Amino acid sequence: MSTATAGSPELTRDELLRHYRVMRTIREFEERVHREFATGDIPGFVHLYAGEEAIAAGVCACLREDDYITSTHRGHGHAIAKGCDVGAMMAEIFGRSTGVSKGKGGSMHIADFGVGMLGANGIVAGGAPLACGVGLSAKVRGTDQVGVAFAGDGASNQGMFLESLNLAAIWNAGCIFVVENNGYAEATASIYHQGGVDVAKRADGFGMPGVVVDGNDFFAVHEAASEAVARARSGGGPTLLECKTVRFFGHFEGDAQTYRGETEVEDARANRDPLIRFEQQVTAAGSATEQELRAIDDEVRASIDEAVEQARAAPEPLADDLLTDVYINY
Amino acid sequence: MLSQPLTVGVIANPASGRDIRRLVTGGSVFDNAEKASMVFRLMAGLGAAGVERVLMMPAGDGVSSGVIRRYRNRGHFLAGARFPELETLDWTPTGTERDTVRAVSAMCEAGVAAIAVLGGDGTHRLVARECGEVPLCALSTGTNNAFPEMREATVAGLAVGLLVTGRVDPDETGIVRERSLAVSVDGGERSDLALVDVAAVASHFVGARAVWKPDEVSELVVAFASPSAVGLSAVAAQLEPIRRGEEGLHVRFAPPEEAAILLDVPLAPGFVTRMGVREHRRLALGDVVELSPGSGTIALDGEREFARTIGDRVSVEFATGPLRIDVDAVMAAAGQGRVLTLMKELI
Repeated sequence: MSTATAGSPELTRDELLRHYRVMRTIREFEERVHREFATGDIPGFVHLYAGEEAIAAGVCACLREDDYITSTHRGHGHAIAKGCDVGAMMAEIFGRSTGVSKGKGGSMHIADFGVGMLGANGIVAGGAPLACGVGLSAKVRGTDQVGVAFAGDGASNQGMFLESLNLAAIWNAGCIFVVENNGYAEATASIYHQGGVDVAKRADGFGMPGVVVDGNDFFAVHEAASEAVARARSGGGPTLLECKTVRFFGHFEGDAQTYRGETEVEDARANRDPLIRFEQQVTAAGSATEQELRAIDDEVRASIDEAVEQARAAPEPLADDLLTDVYINY
Repeated sequence: MLSQPLTVGVIANPASGRDIRRLVTGGSVFDNAEKASMVFRLMAGLGAAGVERVLMMPAGDGVSSGVIRRYRNRGHFLAGARFPELETLDWTPTGTERDTVRAVSAMCEAGVAAIAVLGGDGTHRLVARECGEVPLCALSTGTNNAFPEMREATVAGLAVGLLVTGRVDPDETGIVRERSLAVSVDGGERSDLALVDVAAVASHFVGARAVWKPDEVSELVVAFASPSAVGLSAVAAQLEPIRRGEEGLHVRFAPPEEAAILLDVPLAPGFVTRMGVREHRRLALGDVVELSPGSGTIALDGEREFARTIGDRVSVEFATGPLRIDVDAVMAAAGQGRVLTLMKELI
């Protein structure tokens, strides 16, 4: 007789409100970066996560602070959900010395090892082998820490990603590969960039479970991630979690998105917005009221205003800082 | 008036066969490349039987593109075979269940003679809700299903083709009237339909949808109880193996210490578990069950579908359902009538 694992307990009201706050913070952060980028004051590139909030929030809600995540070029949501300081993130994006990477990395190099965020990553699929490192490290040290690699559907074609699945499988490592499948690798739709447009099925080839969930439903992501994390912690090995989702902005800010259907984004915002879906479900269940959620919205908006204000007021790194933080002594 | 080419609709759901049971029990992912291959093989059967056109739902994740690729390349390995013309409905899929609903509606409007469905119980439920009197050929793409059958698509295509061309008389054999469960909330404020089972589940959110935690299911209504299936229908079958088209069953569960009967049942692939039953009773066509009040979710055909609160009255009527093509019966009739037999002297 078997007993299914029980990694997904019912969420308390406080937990629900906390997870909503994470998603709202991501949304507000990204909408604001979108507007600030248009002023020309932000250096480099930014890739916005709006529309995909339920994935970062749903997965990271299942992690402890001593678990690790590796992120992607579209990493703001992961960083916020894992607990990075929003003010320091905004300062980093503005290239200021108060930034989480002292203003020298920008959007694609946001990292904070103290909260288990090993870094956004400009290399497509670059986070996947790092998560294998987490799994191996935990195994060697005898801890039950988990390593989560976020990746996109484009990254799932990279050799490095597939090699990582293999490594995690043969090491039976506590790794979770979360594929945020928004249907496009940059501007190329899945049917043009994937030989087999079936990311979850790839897990079968490496002997690990592959699951697909609606990445725009917090509760679907959370339920599956809870199980995957419980499995990883208890020595059950890796999981591939494919989250079907949609991004509300372009691949990068400035992307004209001529490759998308005319009403695609409009339809997604109307029917697949993870925040609206979360609100509908928790208010219908009587777990939270609309007023409570609006109060969180106001607080979050104020915190993002403050983050931008402080970032703009902060100094830029000096020329003397150029050669610091380049190497690390072990 | 121009005569319409004899057309069969095809719905292949790219999202079926990949839910959370792959993680929490022993299910495996049903490959979308295989779904595309099944549609291609189905078309081979349809074409051989005389169907002129296939109208397919546009589906992402490699299903439509896989079918089209195989169809275009068929001359390289099936040069002599007769295939129907392939037409895909001309719109961009949303990747949600709205695609299935829209496609079935368009197919019915286009006058298809039958619809072949590749998916699980959930996919068939959506099709059944929209298809009216158009018969379905129900093909399973996974191991969790009770309503559709796991079978070779070529033979299914042949059977559908023989029936819609009239080479096997549909008035005599091969079409079965299924049962369904008509769900109504608060006297019709919301209504829905299930083909296999309706369950009251404790979980407050639809979440990952699949029902796989035995202690969360408090009540169950089944349209048939299949002893060889996996899932809630199999649970009922261990109490009363009721054949399709006969009676339904209403089951109330209880914690093992309070249960009148304890059952060991295959609730999901790779997952045999113990469930306690407080009481159960058979249902005749037209019987209505009022579910016990409670909060949580209502699952239709094994998937949590909508939330309910303590004040919601949920009733389930054991009703008639869609028409289904009985592939075995059609092929047996074809054999008996020598429909596919070529007289050597006539060749």
